[in-house]
This record gives sequence, C-alpha cells and structure tokens, in this order.
Amino acid sequence: MTQTSFPAFLLLFILLSTLTRVHALWPQPRSLQTGSEALKLSPTFDIIVSGNIHFLPLDLREAISRTKEQVKNDRLGRVVVGRGSSDQPLLFQAKQLDALYLSFGEHATMSSIADEARKPLESRDEAYLLSVPCDGSPATLVANSSLGAFRGLATFTQLWYNFNGTTYALHLPVDIVDSPSYPYRGFMLDTARHYFPVIDIKRMLDAMSWVKLNQLHWHAVDSQSFPLQVPRFMDLAHKGAYSPDEVYTPDDIADIVSYAGARGIDVLIEIDTPGHTSVISKARAEHIACPEFMPWRTFANEPPAGQLRFASPATTNFTASLLEAVATMFPSTLFSPGGDELNTNCYDQDKETQSILSSTGQNLEQALDRFVRTTHQAVIDLGKTPVVWEEMVLVHNVTLHPETIALTWISSDSVKAVAQKGHRIIHAAADFFYLDCGGGGWIAPDLAGNGYCDPFKTWQHAYSFDPLANLTTEEATLVLGGEHLLWTEQSSSANLDPIVWPRAAASAELYWTGPGGNTSDALSRLHDLSFRLQKRGVNAIPIQPLWCALRPGACDLPTTSST
Amino acid sequence: MRTFSSLLLAVVLATLPPAHALWPQPRNLRTGSDKLKLSDDFKIHLEAHVPQDMLDAISRTEDFLKKDHLQRLIVGRGSSDTNALTNAKSLSELDLYLESGADANSITTEAQKPIESRDEAYTLNVPNDGSPANITASSTLGLLRGLTTFTQLWYEVDGTIYAADVPIYTHDSPAYPYRGFMLDTARNFFPVSDIKRTLDAMSLVKMNQFHWHVVDSQSFPLQIPEFMDLSIKGAYSSSSVYTPDDVKDIVAYAGARGIDVLVEIDTPGHTSVISKAYPGHIACPEATPWDIFANEPPAGQLRLASNETTNFAANLLAAVARMFPSTIFSTGGDELNANCYDQDPDTQKSLNETGRTLEQALDVFIKTTHKAIEDLGKTPVVWEEMVLKHNVTLNPNTTVLVWEKSENAKTVAQKGYKLIHAASDFFYLDCGAGSWLGASPDSPNWCDPFKTWQHSYTFNPTANLTDDEAKLVLGGQHLLWTEQSGPSNLDSIVWPRAASSAELFWSGPGGNVSHALERLHDLSFRLQQRGVKSIPLQPLWCALRPGVCDAVPHTSVDGVVQSTSFAYHDDQVLDAGIPRHDEL
Repeated sequence: MTQTSFPAFLLLFILLSTLTRVHALWPQPRSLQTGSEALKLSPTFDIIVSGNIHFLPLDLREAISRTKEQVKNDRLGRVVVGRGSSDQPLLFQAKQLDALYLSFGEHATMSSIADEARKPLESRDEAYLLSVPCDGSPATLVANSSLGAFRGLATFTQLWYNFNGTTYALHLPVDIVDSPSYPYRGFMLDTARHYFPVIDIKRMLDAMSWVKLNQLHWHAVDSQSFPLQVPRFMDLAHKGAYSPDEVYTPDDIADIVSYAGARGIDVLIEIDTPGHTSVISKARAEHIACPEFMPWRTFANEPPAGQLRFASPATTNFTASLLEAVATMFPSTLFSPGGDELNTNCYDQDKETQSILSSTGQNLEQALDRFVRTTHQAVIDLGKTPVVWEEMVLVHNVTLHPETIALTWISSDSVKAVAQKGHRIIHAAADFFYLDCGGGGWIAPDLAGNGYCDPFKTWQHAYSFDPLANLTTEEATLVLGGEHLLWTEQSSSANLDPIVWPRAAASAELYWTGPGGNTSDALSRLHDLSFRLQKRGVNAIPIQPLWCALRPGACDLPTTSST
Repeated sequence: MRTFSSLLLAVVLATLPPAHALWPQPRNLRTGSDKLKLSDDFKIHLEAHVPQDMLDAISRTEDFLKKDHLQRLIVGRGSSDTNALTNAKSLSELDLYLESGADANSITTEAQKPIESRDEAYTLNVPNDGSPANITASSTLGLLRGLTTFTQLWYEVDGTIYAADVPIYTHDSPAYPYRGFMLDTARNFFPVSDIKRTLDAMSLVKMNQFHWHVVDSQSFPLQIPEFMDLSIKGAYSSSSVYTPDDVKDIVAYAGARGIDVLVEIDTPGHTSVISKAYPGHIACPEATPWDIFANEPPAGQLRLASNETTNFAANLLAAVARMFPSTIFSTGGDELNANCYDQDPDTQKSLNETGRTLEQALDVFIKTTHKAIEDLGKTPVVWEEMVLKHNVTLNPNTTVLVWEKSENAKTVAQKGYKLIHAASDFFYLDCGAGSWLGASPDSPNWCDPFKTWQHSYTFNPTANLTDDEAKLVLGGQHLLWTEQSGPSNLDSIVWPRAASSAELFWSGPGGNVSHALERLHDLSFRLQQRGVKSIPLQPLWCALRPGVCDAVPHTSVDGVVQSTSFAYHDDQVLDAGIPRHDEL
C-alpha cells in the first residue's frame, strides 16, 4: 500500500512540512523539504525519461507533453503584492532548469496510467519522489508506476510562476517524498437532475487530476432523466433522456473513461436501484411501482416518485441485466448499484408488489434481500465490488458481500455504525461534503427557503473533517477515503465550476495529505490553486477579496476578536 | 371578455401551462389562446424622428426574436404546438407609436431623468389575425419597455418562431420608479464585458438603475482624470481599471438600455486604499488588528476632521460626479469606525483645535462634500447610518439606502427621507456562503443564510409604513458584495435571483411564488440563450412540469388538475395599479 511506501522518511518530513508554507502545492505533499534559492525554467526545458525503459505508455507520453505545456502556459503571477515583481532581484542570479529526468524504480512494471488508475483501490501505486535542485542540474522524478509519475508531474507544474515572461520557481531546492494517505479521493457528479455535456465532465476530470483526485463517482441516471445510452437497453435513454441531445452515447462513455484514465482517474459508475428509478417507467412501465404518483411526498423524497418493483422476479432479472450491461461498459473494479432512500409506502400501495408478496409469502425486506443478492451477484460475477449508499447496511436487513463498500451520506455520524458492521467506508456525508447545500430549498413555494442540508458547506468545514472520528484503530482501517458530491437540482453547466471549485479541493487534500491541516496555512495555498485553475480554464471562484489573497494572513480573524 | 363558459374551459385547459412567461409580469394583461407565427420578413416600424439608441433598440429586438431560439418549457419543448401552428397567422409588422406631443428624446435621456420623472409606461397589442402589432408610449423609454415585453412572447420549435396565447393586450407601467442592482467592483474586479452583460440582463427584466459601488478599501479601479494617482496606486493591477472611456462606454451602454448609473464613492469610511496615493488623508490605514478599526480588512478612513481632507473629498466627489450624467450620486456613509479616529493623533489634533466633537466634524464634512454634489445638480444617496446613527445635516431630498435590516425602513421614513430598499436580510446576493475571513473555520457569514429568490420575492416594501411614509419608498435593489465573487461566478450568483426584485418593484408586491416559479424558469432559460449563465432553480424535470414539484402539488394523484391555477390562464383585464392578475 502506498501509504507505507517510504516509511523511513515520513515522520521526519511530516514534522518539517508543518514549518513551511513557502510553496503553494495542493494537495500538500506528505513530506516536503525546501530551500531559499530561485530557479528559472529554461525556454528549452524538457522532460526526459531516463533509465532502461523500453516502452513508455501513450497516456504517460501525453501527460508529459501536457506537463510541459502547463509549465509554459500557466503564466500564473505569484499571489503576493506585486504579483512577483519583488522576486525579480532573485532571478538575476538564478540558475536555469533545463530538464526533468523521469525514471522508474527497479521493480516498476510499466503499464499505462489508466491501467494503474483502474486497479483495485488499495493496489494503486501513486507514490513518487521529486527533487528539484537549485544549481541548474536536472530535476528528478522517481516512481514505481506511471500513475506515481503522473502524480509527480502534477506537483511539478504547481511549482512555477511567471513574471514578465520569465517562468520561475522559488524556495529551491525542493525535495518531495509523497504518497496519499487514503486510496479513494473522489468527486461525485449527478448528471440526471441536469445534464452536463461531455466537455464539462472532461473539464472536471482535468481539474480533479490537478489536485490528485483519483475517482469520478458518476451518478449518471436518476428518477428525473436517463441520459446513459446502454446497448440492449437503448429505449431507456431514448424515452428517458431530457432530449435526444442530452445523452451519453457508448462512444461518449468510452471517451470519458479513457480521458479519466489518462488522468489517473477511475470512473465509478452508479445506477441507483431500486429507488430513484422513476424514469425507467417511460420505457419499461411494468418494472416501476408508483411512477410519477402524486402527491409525490407520499411516495418519494423528491419528485418524481417511482421505484423498481423489486419483489417481481422479472424486474429483478431486468435490473441484474441492466447493471451487468452498464458494468461491462466501465473498466473499474467498482460499481455502484445505489440503494438509498427506498420508500416503502410506494410498495404498500402497489397492487403488483402486494400480490407478489402474498403469493410468495415474503415480506418487503425479504424480497429486497433477494433483489439485492441477485443484482449484486451480476456485478460481482463481472469481478466488480459493489458500492452502496449507507441504507443498504444500516436501514435494511439485506445480505451483502463482505467486500461491499458503503458511502456514508446521511450524516457523518453514520460512519461508526457502518464500521461496526465491518464494511469499508467512503466518506460522502451531507453535513460536510455536499456541494449543493445552502442554495435554499428548490421545492416551491418554500418560503422559509431552507434546503434539507443547509447551511452551505464551506471549504474550511470540509477541510477540518476528521475521517477517523470515534473509530477504533481497527475500524479506522475500513476508511478508504472520501469525496465531495454535487447533486444537481440547482446546478447545471451554468454554475458547475463555481459551485465545485475550489471547494472540492478541500477533500482532495484532506484524503491525500491526511487530516489536521491548518486552515490559515491552507487558505493561502488554496488561493494559489484557485488562480491556477482559472488560468487553466476552470471558473474557480475567489474565496476572499484579491486584497486578502495577496496578503496571506492579513484577513484572518484576529485572535483578539471577541466575535 | 370573461364569460362563464370560458372560465370552465380554462379550468379544463389548465393542464397546459400558460404559453406566455413575461418577467416582470405586466401590471395588467389580457391574453387569448391562439398561436401566431413570426414572419420571416418581420419588421419593426417607427414613424417620426428616431434617436439613434431607439433605432439600436429596434435592431436588437429584431435580433433577439430571431436568435433567442427558446423552446417552451413544457414536456416535448413545444412539439405539441406544431399542429396548431399550421393554421396560425403570421405577424410581419410591429408598429411603434410615440403619443402625440411626446418628446422624441433618446432612451438615454429619458432613463437619466430624475427618478420620479421617468416615463416607462407602454401599451402593447398583439392581434391574432396577422394584422400589425403595436406598442404605444409617451416616451422612447416606454417603447423600450414595450419592446422588451414583446421579445419575451416568442418561442421556437422546428425553426418556427411563434407566440402563444394571442391576442395579447397589456397596458403596463412600473409600481416603483427605482429598480436596481448594485455591483461592488472593489473587493474583486470585473471587466467591462461583465458589466455590460449584467446591464443586458438587467434590461431584460426592466431594471432601470445600476448602482455601481466602484471603489472601496481594497482597491480603487476608477480612473479619475484629476486624481489618476488613486487608481495608479490603488487598482489591483494596471489592467484592473475603468478608464474614463470605459466609464463613458458603460454609461452609454446602460443608458441605451434604459438604465441610469448611480455611481458610489463611499465616504468617509471604506477608503483605506486612498492612503496609497494620499497617505495624509487616511486615518488608521491598514492598522491591525483590523477588527478594532474596521468591519473588514483593511482598516482606513478619510480624516474627516481635517479641512484639507474634506476639501479633497469634495473635489474628488465632484470630479467623479461630473463623469456620470445621473441626477443621483452616492456618497456612501456606512460603517464609520469611531475607534479609528480616537486613535488617530491627526484627527484628535484637528478636533482639539476646532473644539468640535467627532460628530460635529462629521457634520461639517458631510455638509461640505454633499454641497459639492448638489452644486452639480445632483441628489445625494446615502447608506442608512447617515440618517439613523449620525447627527448630520442632510438635504431633505437625500435618498437613503436601507441595508442593515429591512425594519429600519420605518425609522428612515419617520425621519421623512425617501428610501431605497437594499436590506441585507432580503436582497444581499452574497449571503450564505460562509465566512470569508481566514482562520475562522465554520463561522457563519454575518448575513447567512442564503437569500433565496422566493424570500426577496415575498418582501413587502411598505410593511409597517403609514400611507404617507409609503410614498417615500422609491423602490429597491438586489446587491452583490464581491468578497467571494469574481467574473467566474458573477452570472451564477446574480441570475435569476436578482430578477425577483425586478418584478417585485415593477409589478408590485404580493405575487404568488408558485406561479412566479414557472415564469422565472422561462426567464432563466431565456437569459441562458442570451449568454448569461443564469442557474437552474429546479431539476429540468420540474421546470418542464409547472406545479408538479411544489410541496403541495397543483395536480392530484390521478392526474386531474385542480383549479388552483386556472385564473392564471384565463383572459382577464385589470386596471393598472390594482392587484396583480394572478391574485384574482
């Protein structure tokens, strides 16, 4: 596991890293040594693969090209008063960096970034060593995998600033020994409440890769729309997408998966079942109980109502085939069959369900157990691990494969109970990581204007989350990491970037660097990241007036303050 | 027009949402149920001498009609209209009429008149038989408002541009003369293109006042020919400035869209950045800990007790006021920090020499600086503290921005001042994102929670006011303070929320939130079609099914629509100024 790749160095470096805030790396490397010299980037700077590497995967070669473009084109002015003008005297004497030498450890096996990124969570090797000397001799990046090399390249790009056409770094030499604290660092996007064009998703993947997130959790479909074109189930998107243009074709999906993979990101696809499936009724009416029933509040947490008739063997088989068909489109070893917010009233009032339950002598929970076992088995048979929302563990009495991973979402307080049941955990709690909270209610006419998960979750709030709170040492080993999530009832292309960035970067650092980071120190680095994201075409928002961004600490709430 | 049988029919037809989605809702509106196509050779005619900005407005309107390409927000996006369209008549002409005796002033001239003399009324008539539509008004500004309404009638399906619910007749005019939006360009800078796009969006919802909080303690982006040092040393960068040409451009762009620009130079507080160029005029510049000296960093205020500073401020305000043709000018006046002056030896010395208290010195400062504005024929606009907290002499015409909380409107009115609603508890667009101060994990923002559009929409502008006091209410505005906003989230934080006050102060209060929601969806989509990144208020599924996502849905379990929304779809006529038509 990457967490223990460089144990000898870690303790020392973690101690040292708390003393420095001279660089604006995000996520903060787990060990970082810095000097006080400046270094210019040569106009002919190149990245050279050294050692006896006979084959360099295409996606790594492309990543190297992108890295060279980024260090030249970011043109980020230092986020200080004068935007770097005061650095000029240092640059007269500064040496020039001509090359970064990339090499691989003795036991490195060369596979593509994508292949490495799609390995089972705990076998991904993301560790790297990066050294940038100040004397003009080549910088070095060492990793044991193309994925580790990719992470190192991402760090390398964040060292560089630009003033008057000169690209330079400060506080050299820099020595970094880095690997993630947690193997799962994700972002969830809901493309069913609103559709997002492929270009938006790719821009998200780019931004994710710059902060070393490694998992896109794609909540692709829901009760409102079914944009995913699934071979053998094409009628679902045909009748359930918002429009013929608002679909993800198999080619789009392959494109997204490969774009993500090349950026060190695995795609966890979710087909939420048996709830959140109303739209399936448009194509397969027989499989949905209480479709669009009103008043919707009686039958669902949000409109429209409608859930898979899971007591029906035909519906169970349909679902298993659907999940299997979707799962085969995605190379990930993870697959989410969902499992949240099941409404029992919908089934109580569904004659079909009641008739099946009477004839089989099962109760609803027994029928659910059967449904979950059958549908999960279809996923497991493809060699994939099911990822479920917490209710499958905490609310229902269903048989889950012991490897099943639970997303804790209702509250961070649920984590303990899930851990006690022995399931691995991904933190996805509404009270810390839901990016949509705080926009007021969207159910009209909610005059009070409160959304269910108000208030807004600030980056500071997510950043100060403790992933291991209340867990025993043994339970703590079940925590795989976490993710920020965007449910899109009130989001679309129009506000995707500003609602996600830079906030989602807070959990990226939390799960890479580990908890306990200082928010004041993080703030100045997060400004830097936000500005760099803007330079790269992501509309990250300012988190303070520029006056404050240029003066680290000046806008901190004074400790003398009584407020 | 209304018969018992049409009422019954309307109840049955109510499963269909209204085909028109005007925003702000005209104060009286009569609609039919026919479709009307827009002819390929559609033209807008205006007889008589026509000012250039009116001609431009006409060609913009023709452009919007052709390029909006907005599909109706119903399931199928208008495909169900195609049958009805085969027999629909085509409209090839819209005639504009200035009433006889009306001045053919430019829109700009009309928009820049004193607030209460602006004439924005218009009559719009769109027949269903293909004969020319017409707009009549007694000013070009009224014609512009009519054109704006006209553009909101049109949808597109399969390449056909059409209106539904014709014939349409409206006689419309605003309930309140001041309908604004405030943008702070000092905490973070916004390029001219962002301001113009915002002006376009404002114009679409008939807002008529851009309140430009152009400078503050953090930065001074305004280039003033007589005071170039202020922006050279105080702008965030040499490119983060508004040149005199930019200002002219913005003022002209706004004027042509029926919008007056109220510029604000906030004094004597919120002026720290002036210390970069004129350190002698600023007390406690960037003093720390900042919270002792200011509400937010950096600290620094004009040395109001100093004669030199007072004259400097008067000259500065006059120089800025000359750059803006508006008859109103804001001298600010909020959040003065007395401690800053208590600890400023220079101020204490001035006070000792003159034997004045700080409040007496403030009175002299205000009288002098306000006189500089009034000498230019302009009316000062101030934040509420100038009336509520300080004992200063103000011209009785001074207009007051009520901001700390809406209930302060009563006290301001009791003192006899005209007022503009700008209350943080209803109209601050920046609230709800948490504290932006560093080292304060988890602290709420002072004005949390987020102010939803529903919240501002249900504001009562004359709450607790007597009839006489109510007359002092000029209108109101949404405001964006930009500590946590920049070009990257300008559109998404402002639109469509700011449209809620645009309707509140045009159509008058008391609108029904559920009905407004359908129209606001439509507006939000039209804004997107015009390049404004307005955000969705609900899942598209809900936007396409009016009422279905209400907490208490309009429709019942078996799909039969109840009558809660029938009046909305019925033909009706109301007298201007009487309650909104959807209240009937």
